[in-house]
Amino acid sequence: MSIPQNTSSESFDALYRQSARDLYAYVRTLLGDDAGAEDVTALAFERAYRRRASFDASRGSERGWLFGIARNAALDELRRRRRSAPLLAEPPDESAIAPEEEADLAIRRTTVRVALAALSPRDRELVALKFHGGLSNAELAAVLGVSESNASTRVHRAVMKLREACHAPS
Amino acid sequence: MRRRDPLTPEQERDLEALDRALAGESVDLDLRELDELVRDVRATAPEMTPAFAARLEHEVSEGFPSPQERPPLRERRPWRGRRWVLLPAAGSLAAVLVALVVVLGADDAGDTGTSLSAGPEATSSATPSAGVAADSAAAEDTPAAAQRATVPDAIPPLPSAGSAASGAGAIAPAPARKVQRGAVLVIDAPDGRFDATTDAVIATVGRFDGIVASSQIGSSDATGSEATFDLRIPTERLDRALAALSKLGHVTERSQNLQDITASFSSAQERLTDARAERRGLLRTLARATTQQKIASIKGQLRSVNGRISGLKGQLASLRRRADLAAVSLTVRGGGSRETGGATGGGHWTPGDAAGDALRVLEVSASIALVCLAVLAPLGLLGGAVAIAVRCGRRRRRETALDPA
Repeated sequence: MSIPQNTSSESFDALYRQSARDLYAYVRTLLGDDAGAEDVTALAFERAYRRRASFDASRGSERGWLFGIARNAALDELRRRRRSAPLLAEPPDESAIAPEEEADLAIRRTTVRVALAALSPRDRELVALKFHGGLSNAELAAVLGVSESNASTRVHRAVMKLREACHAPS
Repeated sequence: MRRRDPLTPEQERDLEALDRALAGESVDLDLRELDELVRDVRATAPEMTPAFAARLEHEVSEGFPSPQERPPLRERRPWRGRRWVLLPAAGSLAAVLVALVVVLGADDAGDTGTSLSAGPEATSSATPSAGVAADSAAAEDTPAAAQRATVPDAIPPLPSAGSAASGAGAIAPAPARKVQRGAVLVIDAPDGRFDATTDAVIATVGRFDGIVASSQIGSSDATGSEATFDLRIPTERLDRALAALSKLGHVTERSQNLQDITASFSSAQERLTDARAERRGLLRTLARATTQQKIASIKGQLRSVNGRISGLKGQLASLRRRADLAAVSLTVRGGGSRETGGATGGGHWTPGDAAGDALRVLEVSASIALVCLAVLAPLGLLGGAVAIAVRCGRRRRRETALDPA
């Protein structure tokens, strides 16, 4: 079922407010740089806005639909970069760790950041969709174009790898 | 087919705990690590810069009014976004090609097959051997085939009349066969198109350089309209002309006849040669004549020979015309009172006629729809398959972006 035209603007506005930060976090994790993530995030919202009448609620949630659009745009961007120049991830922002944070917390989060970076792009994407995007396994399956059980297995495998990477000696 | 990976109970428990942790709910003690992992990963989530957040907020609130202002992510090729525009064009081109193939195929079948398909209805008045020749000529329908009627026939050598032209001991070449062809064609004009059909007959005859020797058109409410044409068509174009005329309506009768006039032609030609030789001899005798009586006698003989020569020339010309122009008797029949009423307005157009016309319109519409369906259905299937393949290919190419470089 399509979003009714008269309420689509309000619906889109609500979707934007619910998803903007999560979507940016997902895209940024996938691309590895701020400029690209900003472009792709803006492009994804613009595409979603222009195609909002074609959204079919029977095929999944609005959030999953939006992340699917963002994923396509991000993968296209990754392919374009691969053709033109090697992907250079921006260095982690050390200032993100607040000085007042406790030392063990700071160490743990740095470990998580390093472990995330060590994952394969596919696993990193799954973690980003699950943790940053907060998608259910059904939504995740719709975004990836796989079955729900397959998506669940992939998520579990990626989380296990992340846990192992966090425990691995640095 | 995708591989199914059934989850173990332990994996399911892990995932449930993960979902609870992501939802901010408590998890079992032995899975607290997942809860911490969720908090830590979320704490490392990249944040939008305030400037970008403000810009995005502005664009959303404005409804993305000017997408051109933002630099594109990629250099777009001019046709890239409008590739779908090519699909209808490609479809139309394919439809035109299919239609051309069908039409040309139908033309070929009409040119070669009409005379054959009329077989059960055709009544040939030709002799068996002539009938075979006519059939083969009609089947091939080429100028060469048409001209076969006038090329020397190797099998039946014509009897030599011992003409003077044969000369002393010279082998006379086999004379070309002269064949007179004729045809009878009866067609029923399509409903409401009697006048148009008769006009088309005249146009078709003109197209093949033929002539309408005579024509007669009559109509009555009881028997309907009928037009008879006595046509002369160049023999070498007869088959194509008959095929074209047959397409003007429904053929109810078609027959062809063939008459070998080679003997008559040769006989007249030889008699003409003999007469000319006789005249030359008389002229020589006249030159040597010395008496008035002799001269008067020779002049009388010359007048007689000249008369014979003129007659023979006319006979040869007539035979040539019969060989060069085939006589075609064409009858076009209309549909009776409905025909005259509907076409000319001279009769009554009854509700029954209207119902018949409506039925005919429906039949034609259904036929057109069927033909369109026959053309469009395969094209649609092909287009669908191509679209699916393109979509799968695009998805696969996208996924390669996540593969290690």
